[in-house]
Amino acid sequence: MSDAATHPGPNGAVAPDEGLGRQVVFPTPGQVMRMRMRHHKGFIFGAVFVLAIFLMAVFAPMLTSYNPYTQHLSHRLVPPVWDAKGTWKHPLGTDNLGRDYLSRLVYGSRVSLLIGFSCMLIAMVIGTLLGMSAGYFGGKVDMLVGFIITVRLALPAVLVAVAVVALIGGSMQVVILVLGCLIWDRFAVVLRTSTQQVCSMDYVDAARAAGCSTLRIMFREILPNLFNNLMVIATLEIGRAILLEAALSFLGMGVQPPTPSWGLMISEGKEYMLFQPYLITVPGVALFILVLGMNLLGDGLRDVTAPEGQA
Amino acid sequence: MRKGWRKVLMGVVATVITVVFVAAPVQAGKKDDTLNIAFTKELETLDRYFNTAREGIVFARHVFDNLLWRDPKTFEYKPLLAKSYRWVDNLTLEVTLRKGVKFHDGTEMTADDVVYTLNFAANPANKVKTQRYSNWIKKVVKEGPYKVKILLKTPFPAALEFLSGANPIYPKHYYAKVGPKKFGLKPIGTGPYKVAEVEPGKRIVLVKNPDYFKDSPKGQPHIGKIVWRTLPEKNTQVAELMTGGLDWIWMVPPDQAKKLAAMPNIKVIAAETMRIGYLTMDAAGVTLKHGMKNDPFTKLKVRQAVNYAVNREAIAKNLVGGQSKPVYSACFPSQFGCTQDVVKYEYNPAKARKLLAEAGYPDGFTTTLYGYRNRDFAAAIVGDLAAVGIKAKLVMMKYSALREKLRGGKVQFAFLTWGSYSINDVSAITSNFFEFQEDDLARDPVVRDLLLKGDTSIDPKVRKEAYRKALQRIAAQAYWAPLFTYVSNNCFTKDLDFTPYPDAVPRFYQARWK
Amino acid sequence: MLQYTLKRLVVTFFVILVVSLVSFMLIRVSGDPAIALAGEGATQQEIEYVRHHYGFDRPLIIQYVDWAKKALQGDLGESPYFNEPVLKMIRERIGVTMTLGVSALLFALFVSIPLGVLASIRPNTWIDRVALTISVMGQAMPSFWFGLIMIIFFGVTLRWLPISGSGSPAHYVMPTIALGYYATPAFMRLIRSGMLEVLSSDHIRTARAKGLRWGKILYKHALRNAIIPVVALAAVQLGFMLGGSIVIESVFALHGIGYLAWVSIGRSDLPVVQAIILLLSMIYVVLTFLGDLLNAFLDPRIRVR
Repeated sequence: MSDAATHPGPNGAVAPDEGLGRQVVFPTPGQVMRMRMRHHKGFIFGAVFVLAIFLMAVFAPMLTSYNPYTQHLSHRLVPPVWDAKGTWKHPLGTDNLGRDYLSRLVYGSRVSLLIGFSCMLIAMVIGTLLGMSAGYFGGKVDMLVGFIITVRLALPAVLVAVAVVALIGGSMQVVILVLGCLIWDRFAVVLRTSTQQVCSMDYVDAARAAGCSTLRIMFREILPNLFNNLMVIATLEIGRAILLEAALSFLGMGVQPPTPSWGLMISEGKEYMLFQPYLITVPGVALFILVLGMNLLGDGLRDVTAPEGQA
Repeated sequence: MRKGWRKVLMGVVATVITVVFVAAPVQAGKKDDTLNIAFTKELETLDRYFNTAREGIVFARHVFDNLLWRDPKTFEYKPLLAKSYRWVDNLTLEVTLRKGVKFHDGTEMTADDVVYTLNFAANPANKVKTQRYSNWIKKVVKEGPYKVKILLKTPFPAALEFLSGANPIYPKHYYAKVGPKKFGLKPIGTGPYKVAEVEPGKRIVLVKNPDYFKDSPKGQPHIGKIVWRTLPEKNTQVAELMTGGLDWIWMVPPDQAKKLAAMPNIKVIAAETMRIGYLTMDAAGVTLKHGMKNDPFTKLKVRQAVNYAVNREAIAKNLVGGQSKPVYSACFPSQFGCTQDVVKYEYNPAKARKLLAEAGYPDGFTTTLYGYRNRDFAAAIVGDLAAVGIKAKLVMMKYSALREKLRGGKVQFAFLTWGSYSINDVSAITSNFFEFQEDDLARDPVVRDLLLKGDTSIDPKVRKEAYRKALQRIAAQAYWAPLFTYVSNNCFTKDLDFTPYPDAVPRFYQARWK
Repeated sequence: MLQYTLKRLVVTFFVILVVSLVSFMLIRVSGDPAIALAGEGATQQEIEYVRHHYGFDRPLIIQYVDWAKKALQGDLGESPYFNEPVLKMIRERIGVTMTLGVSALLFALFVSIPLGVLASIRPNTWIDRVALTISVMGQAMPSFWFGLIMIIFFGVTLRWLPISGSGSPAHYVMPTIALGYYATPAFMRLIRSGMLEVLSSDHIRTARAKGLRWGKILYKHALRNAIIPVVALAAVQLGFMLGGSIVIESVFALHGIGYLAWVSIGRSDLPVVQAIILLLSMIYVVLTFLGDLLNAFLDPRIRVR
C-alpha cells in the first residue's frame, strides 16, 4: 500500500528519488557498487537479516531436533525460556498442540520465503511483460497497460485476495497464485518508465537498425539493463508478499494448518495471546525482522546501484 | 511557526486526553442493572423461523414462548403457552391455551395466533428455514378462542420436542401485517424480554417484560436490561470480560477458561453441550462416481484403522477440556435412543497400523481431511493420523463451501460436528445423516430402514430397539469415527447468578445479580 | 484544463466499469452462491430452487449486465443473508470505516509531517535517523499484529483504552494508530525528499539571504511547496486505507464495511462482497482522479500529457 510513495499512480509524477531524466551510466559498476555496499548501513543490516533467515530456512533440520508437526498433547503451552517456568528443552516454548515453537518458527521461515519468492516471481513475469511492452511500444499499448495498472490498483488487494481464496479454498498454491496475480503493479509501473529511458539510447536504435527482432531487442538488449531495477523491486515485493500472506493467513484464508506459516502462527496464537503472549510476539517479531530485512535490502540495493550522485 | 506548531501539538494532546479519559468506555454490570453479553455469530434475522443459528434459538427463548416447555433438569414437557395438551390419537394433538397471556404490544395471545403461526411455518410455500421442525404438521385448526387441534401427517414421536424446542408463537395481527423481513428487525412476542433496540449484526438491546405472565414455568425475569453484542473473536470477548466490558461469554476454550477461573472477579462453569465432533468417511464410494480415482475408505479395515488411530480421550481431555467425553456411538449420549452398547474403538495406533497393512496399505496413504471449525482439534486429528501412516492434508473451509463440496461427491474424509439443534432425540442426528441424504456417505439400506422405523414409530420401545440396531451397525461398519462431545465454558462476572444447562441454551431470564 | 479533466473522467468511468466486471467474474467463478444461500440443512431441491430464484443458472455475462444495470440505478441488490438492501447495509456501516480511514490518515500526517520536516532540516543527523527508523519499522510491521500487541498492552494490561467496538471516540484510538502507522513512512519519505529539494532551491536561498526568519521560511516557502505532492498521495492513501481496513476492523471488532466484507465472505454473501469491492474501487478511483486533477491544477506540465 505504501508503494504510492515511490510512484504515486501511473499518471502522477515520478518519485523524486528516482533518477529522472539522468543518463544511466556505470563507469566501473562492480567496484563502485561493492564500495557503496560496504558503507551503506541499511543495506548491511538488511543483508544480514535476510541472510540469517535464509540460512535458518536452509539449515532448519540442524537448528532444532523437533519435528514442527509432531504434537504432544500433554506438553501443551509450555512457556518459553525467559518465563520463570520455561526450560531450555523448548527454548521458545510449545504451542496449543504441544509442538515445539522454535521448530515451528524455523520451518516457518521456509514457508514465508517460499511464498514471498514465488509470489514475486509470478508478479515479476506479469509486471515485466506489461511494463516492458508499454515502455517499448508506447502509444496505444502504453495507454492500455496504464489502464490495466489503474484497474489493478483500484481493486482492494486484501479484500479481493481474501474473497477469492475463501471461495476457492485455501492452500499454499492458491495463495501464491492469487497474491502473485495481485502485486505486479510496482514491477509494471517502474519497468514502464525505465524501459522508456533505455529505449531512447543509441544501441537500441542500433539494434533496431541492424534488423533484430522485437523480441530479441526486448529480452537481449533492454532487459539486461533493467536488471538492477528488477532486483530492487523484487526484493521489496518479497517483503510485501510476505506481509500479505501473513494478513491472509491471519484472517484464516491463507495457508492451511498444520503448515507452520508465521501469519498462521499469529492467527493460531491469537486465541491464547492474553495469557501466553509469546505465541504471537515470537512469530510477529520474526515476520517483522524478515520484512524489515527485505525492505532495507531493497532500499539499499536501490541506493548502491543508483547512477552516480544518487547514493 | 514554532508557536503555531506548539498550539497544534497542545490541541492534539488535549484531544487525545479528553477522548481517552472523559469518554471512557461504558463499564458493564450490576450497577446499572445491565447484563452485557456477547456472541460470536451475528444473526441474519431475529425471526426464529428464518435463521438456524444457535444464537437464534437463544434469542427466541427470551423474546418468544412456545406452546410447550421442556424442563432442562427433568426433561419433562410442561405446558407453557398451552394450559394443557392431550393426544386425541396418533395424529391429533389437542392443545388448550392459557388465558390472559399478552404480547409485548399489549394484545392478547389467542388460538388465532397459534393457528396462524404454526400453519405459516408448516406451509412449504413460506420457505421457512426451519422446515424440518414444522413439516410434520399437516394442519392446525381452531377449536375455540383458546383451543386448537394440531393434525399430523404421520405419527411423529418428536412432535412434543419440536413444539417445545422450535416453533415459537407469533402475534398474527403484527406478523401478517409486516411480514418476516420487518418482523426480523423488530420482533414482538410473549416472552420474558422485549426487544428495545436492534442494530442488525451488531447489537440487540432487550428489556425486561414487566407484564410477563405470572405462572410461566420459565419464571419471571430479574435483570432489567440485556445488551447483546456480536464479537466474532473469542480473544476479544475474553479481553472484554477481563476488563469489565462484558459480563457473560461462553464457548471459551479450556486454556483461557482455566486462566479466567483464576481471576478474582470471574466465575467459570463448564457445561457439556449436545454437539459432538465426528469424522465422516466415504464408505459407499460416492466420490468414485464423481471422478475420484481411488477411495481407501470403502475398505472396512481402513475405516476401523481411522477409528483406532485418533486419540479421542487425549483430545477430549487436553484440547476440548472440561467435561468433554469421548464418544463411540454416532449420537449424543443423552439423546433418546442413543445406545452406548456399540463396538468401542479405543485408541490403539499399533492395531490401526496392522489393520491398514491388512487392507493393503502397509505404508499408509495420502488423503485430504476437510473441516470447517476448531482448526486446532482438526490439526490434532491430522497429527494422530500421521502417526499411523495416514498422511492427511488439512483443508479448512467455510461451512457452506464444504457442504457444497461434500454434496457434490468431492469429499472422502471430513471432520464435522453436529449440535442436533439441542433436540434430545437420535432422529435429530443419526437419522439426519444416514437416510440416503446427499451427504450420507455410508448409503447403507439396512441402517436407513432401521432408522426410518425408529423415526415413524410411536412406541418408545420399538424406537429404541430400531435405533440400537442402527447405531450398532454404524459402529461395526465404522461409517463414522464419532470423536468427542463439545463443552461450553460459560465465563461470567462473579456478580452474576447464572446456571448453564447441557442443551447449550443460556437462560438469562433466570439469571440475577448477586 | 477542461480537456484534461474530461479525458480523465472518461478513463475513470472505464476503470470503474472494468473493475466491476473483473470483481464480479472473480467472485462468481470462485464459488457457488446457491448452496451458501440455501443454508444449513437445505436439500438439493431447495438449492436448485434458490439457484433458479436468484438467477444463478443464467450465463455469467447476463448476470453481470443485469447486476450492472441495477447498480447504475443505485440498486446493489439485496443481501440474501440479511434480506436487506445492500446499499442500506453499507450506508449504516460506512461511517465507521470513513471515520477510521480519515482519522488514520490524519494520524499519519500528524506524525509524518513534523518528522519529515525535522529530518529534512537536519539530514544525516540522529533526528533524521530516528525518523528513518520509525518509517522503516512502520512498513515492516504487520498492522494486525501491531493491533493485537496494542490490545494486550493498552487494553488489557493498562486498561487505558476500550478493546472492541465503536461506541466512543476512545474506541478509535488503537485502530487509528494501527492503520495509520503503516501509511506514515510513505508520507514521511515524500515530505523529506520534497523538503530537501525545495530547501536547496534558489528562492529559499534568496529568502535566507534577505534575512527572513528561518521558521517563517520553512513554513511559508518550503513546506507549502513540499506539501503539494503529499495532498495527492493522501487521496490515494485514503483509498488504500479503506481497503486495508478489513484486517484492522476485524481485529478491533469495528462494525464498518471492511468487517462487513469479511463476515460476508465467510457466509458467501456475495452481493455484499461485490458491492463493497465496487465501492472501495470507486472511492479509490475517484480519489485518484481528484488527486490527479489537483496535481494538474498545481503543476501545469502534467496537463500536456
